[in-house]
Amino acid sequence: MATVNGYQGNTPVATSTGTKQPAPTAKTVDSQSVLKRLQSELMALMMSGDSGISAFPEEDNIFCWKGTITGSKDTVFEGTEYRLSLAFPNDYPFKPPKVKFETGCFHPNVDVYGNICLDILQDKWSSAYDVRTILLSIQSLLGEPNISSPLNTQAAQLWSNQEEYRKMVEKLYKAPNA
Amino acid sequence: MQNREGVVADGEKESAVSIPVSEFDDWAKFADDDIMQQQSAFHAEEAKKVPFVGDKEPLTMLAAEYESGSPILLEKIKLLGQQYAAIRRTRGDGNCFFRSFMFSYLEYVLESQDHAEVDRIKGNVEECRKTLQSLGYADFTFEDFFALFLEQLDSVLQGNEDSISQDELIIRSRDQSISDYVVMFFRFVTSGEIRKRSEFFEPFILGLTNATVEQFCKSSVEPMGEESDHVHITALSDALGVPIRVVYLDRSSCDNGGVSVNHHDFVPTSGGHSNATSGSTEPVSPFITLLYRPGHYDILYPK
Repeated sequence: MATVNGYQGNTPVATSTGTKQPAPTAKTVDSQSVLKRLQSELMALMMSGDSGISAFPEEDNIFCWKGTITGSKDTVFEGTEYRLSLAFPNDYPFKPPKVKFETGCFHPNVDVYGNICLDILQDKWSSAYDVRTILLSIQSLLGEPNISSPLNTQAAQLWSNQEEYRKMVEKLYKAPNA
Repeated sequence: MQNREGVVADGEKESAVSIPVSEFDDWAKFADDDIMQQQSAFHAEEAKKVPFVGDKEPLTMLAAEYESGSPILLEKIKLLGQQYAAIRRTRGDGNCFFRSFMFSYLEYVLESQDHAEVDRIKGNVEECRKTLQSLGYADFTFEDFFALFLEQLDSVLQGNEDSISQDELIIRSRDQSISDYVVMFFRFVTSGEIRKRSEFFEPFILGLTNATVEQFCKSSVEPMGEESDHVHITALSDALGVPIRVVYLDRSSCDNGGVSVNHHDFVPTSGGHSNATSGSTEPVSPFITLLYRPGHYDILYPK
């Protein structure tokens, strides 16, 4: 998570990745509202019953979630399941969570460390997104990569050959531990 | 660009070129974080120059800015001086239109104590809430922003326990945790209005970008820092039912060489109509006046 330096006022400033501490209290909008928001998201996600995506906070820290997405039908990722981590900053939802693949994913917009290049997680982020729409966006990114700005050039080059690509996905895929 | 917070421990950038399995656990974060740090550094620079909402300055300060500049602009500023007394600058962080609108509107209510206007806009805000719900937005994504705006609205009305002074309004408008929430509220409202009336807005949006209405809202309305255009102003004015005057300070001049200052009034007509059906002959006097210079909005104060 990038630091937002130089802002005045009593807004908490996120300083590093995987922030564990809740924000110090601000006057009107404080860490309570982030907490409340994340709890609402969790509820909504559990009620929504979307197939192919899920997410849940880690044991005792609602600022760190684990999520899963499955590869959509009729894509080269069909039948695969990927685990992701989501780390929410103190100023969420003003700033996006840091989302990474924990399961290796051979994809043009995912690097070997699981970092994802997706505009809504960077400069096109807005508070209108939530965990559910993030996961759905990543799920659709799997089948519709952005080939023009790849993080994994090898995957980008192979994409045009879907048959070979599927073989590569199968070869490299390691199912996440339950 | 210096790395801060130890984002990249080693700085082995060249390893990013191939696709190695390397021990540099964090290199790929480098690109994005670097860009974002650059952006935040830029915003920090901006912050030093101008607060979110500045102090009220006499219009002569504007003239001083262009002292050795274009004679057309100086002439126009002179003309502006006949009608306007002061300017209040806002930070050029891409949110200046919404931030100017926020302050200008709340300041108007604070000064006028116009209870009828507050009741009226609350009705519109409720409509906006329904619009977002019907468009499929989850309540929790926007409700905090709505609540915070309504809270500001109540607090500028005097006589309540939570009433605030003009000074406090300025302090709040400079406090990121409040100011940005209200800006985001306006972004939600604007986006909802555009999507609700996508047929009306579509041709204007096509004139600006190649995007669909929804893509436009997702990439140019909802994210913080995205600049506002006529489309945004029209939509916000319609959604909240608040007329807005925009005065243009640019280098254009009339064919005959004469200089005049143009303005455009964004006027939502009552009764569920909107800027869409302009041509109304009734004179309106917008109580929000913004000064537009290419790429930026500030607040203007009439004499």
